[in-house]
Amino acid sequence: MGRYRYPAIAESEVTPRALFEQRRRFLAGSAALAAAALLPGALWPRRANAWPSLLESRLEDSLPSREMAGDEALTSRRDITTYNNFYEFGTRKSDPDVYAHRLVTDPWSVTIEGEVNKARSVALEDILRDMDLEERIYRLRCVEAWSMVIPWIGFPLRDLLALHEPTSDANYVVFESLYDPDNLRGQRRSIIDWPYREALRIDEAMHPLTLMAVGLYGEPMPNQNGAPIRLVVPWKYGFKSIKSVVKIRLVKERPTTSWTEQNPEEYGFYANVNPRVDHPRWTQARERRIGESGRRETLMFNGYGDEVADLYADMDLETHY
Amino acid sequence: MGVMLFRLLVLLAGSLPGAWLLYQWWWGDLGPVPAESVVHMTGRTGLVLLLATIAFSPAFRLTRWVGFMVARRQIGLWAFAWLLLHALAWMGLDQYWDWPWIRREMVDLPYVRFGLAGLLLLIPLALTSPAAVRHAMGARAWHWLHRLVYVAAGLGVMHFWVLTRADYLWPGVALAVLMALCVFRLVDAWRYRQ
Repeated sequence: MGRYRYPAIAESEVTPRALFEQRRRFLAGSAALAAAALLPGALWPRRANAWPSLLESRLEDSLPSREMAGDEALTSRRDITTYNNFYEFGTRKSDPDVYAHRLVTDPWSVTIEGEVNKARSVALEDILRDMDLEERIYRLRCVEAWSMVIPWIGFPLRDLLALHEPTSDANYVVFESLYDPDNLRGQRRSIIDWPYREALRIDEAMHPLTLMAVGLYGEPMPNQNGAPIRLVVPWKYGFKSIKSVVKIRLVKERPTTSWTEQNPEEYGFYANVNPRVDHPRWTQARERRIGESGRRETLMFNGYGDEVADLYADMDLETHY
Repeated sequence: MGVMLFRLLVLLAGSLPGAWLLYQWWWGDLGPVPAESVVHMTGRTGLVLLLATIAFSPAFRLTRWVGFMVARRQIGLWAFAWLLLHALAWMGLDQYWDWPWIRREMVDLPYVRFGLAGLLLLIPLALTSPAAVRHAMGARAWHWLHRLVYVAAGLGVMHFWVLTRADYLWPGVALAVLMALCVFRLVDAWRYRQ
């Protein structure tokens, strides 16, 4: 399968050379590891620091290739890591940066189950070993009418799903975040029915723009941004892009999701960025780009309409908000 | 406690948040969106001081300590100053004095309308706060006018409630405090009439 040329905001951009070469070198060196992986589970215990060192080695020298994406500047790393909605650590924007050091990300595994032929719980290092990493510079538009431009590092979700062979009954993909109230202080208050859950229709999940991200700005994912692995769906409001994913379940019926459950009038299942459909209590027609003054006009599908509008061709987006 | 000491405490309560704000501004500690931080901080401070102002009357009723009556105008004016600053920070730092923008936000955002309505109601109260004006008005008219503070605080809590997303802890606390103060005021008025 050729590399998907995603719309890097204005012109498209291929993977940074350093990252690309890293991967080549890594693939060559990983044959021995792949052989070791064939050993029975008991001889191959999950160990700490398996995925962080692996990821570090693949991210070496892979700082973002540029500061601009078309005529839009990348949001600074500092802003991306200090202005977060991650209610597991508290509801203030500054809380995740202050408290996310309590998130235990190592060891980490993701359970992939439901309507797949190959259900399993897979260690993050094994996922990383199987996936090609690339940089994707995406706009992120929060439902609260602010936005950023973020250089993610990750792989298309569809590559991961394909490995596990979804069945013909797999109509939706459900994601679940870590539940660990001892360390995630926000989970001690039931603002949301924890753990956080999100979901996509299967065609949305299989869309090449849909990313599982493991890093940003050339580094492993900071805890406050959803370490160690999170979803990124750039044409939907940010709350769809669930953080710190521990479970991916393929299902037949459309599931309920956390924000829709919390307030169905205000947060729909689709949550596509749409300047023409307002949130009941505020407008979605414009947004504050973090790091800029003033407001920008919000773009339909967050500017990814050419790629994704077809997914919703027969739908009334006023009803299916 | 001496009345003068209490007045000094009210002075500190009204001014120290400003010192803290200037300190954070100076050291660039206001976060990725300084305008938003200033708007939030001034609004919270103003609402707390406004509820404290309303609480001074029942505090006097319960304790019969004259300090609360002496300092009530002082803290009320601090509350007004912070809420005015809140609105000015929003118009200036957030909306750049761009009147079409400000009008657009008023049309689109109900919580902006609630907040501005509450602030407008406080203006006649601030203007009639000097002792001379109060005497000229007569106690009856003055007291009647100043009951508007309950309406203004109600609009302020509504403003806070409507702009909040999901976590209603602090708007809930503000609402509970305001409701307790209203109940106390009504019970007190009823007992006075008996």
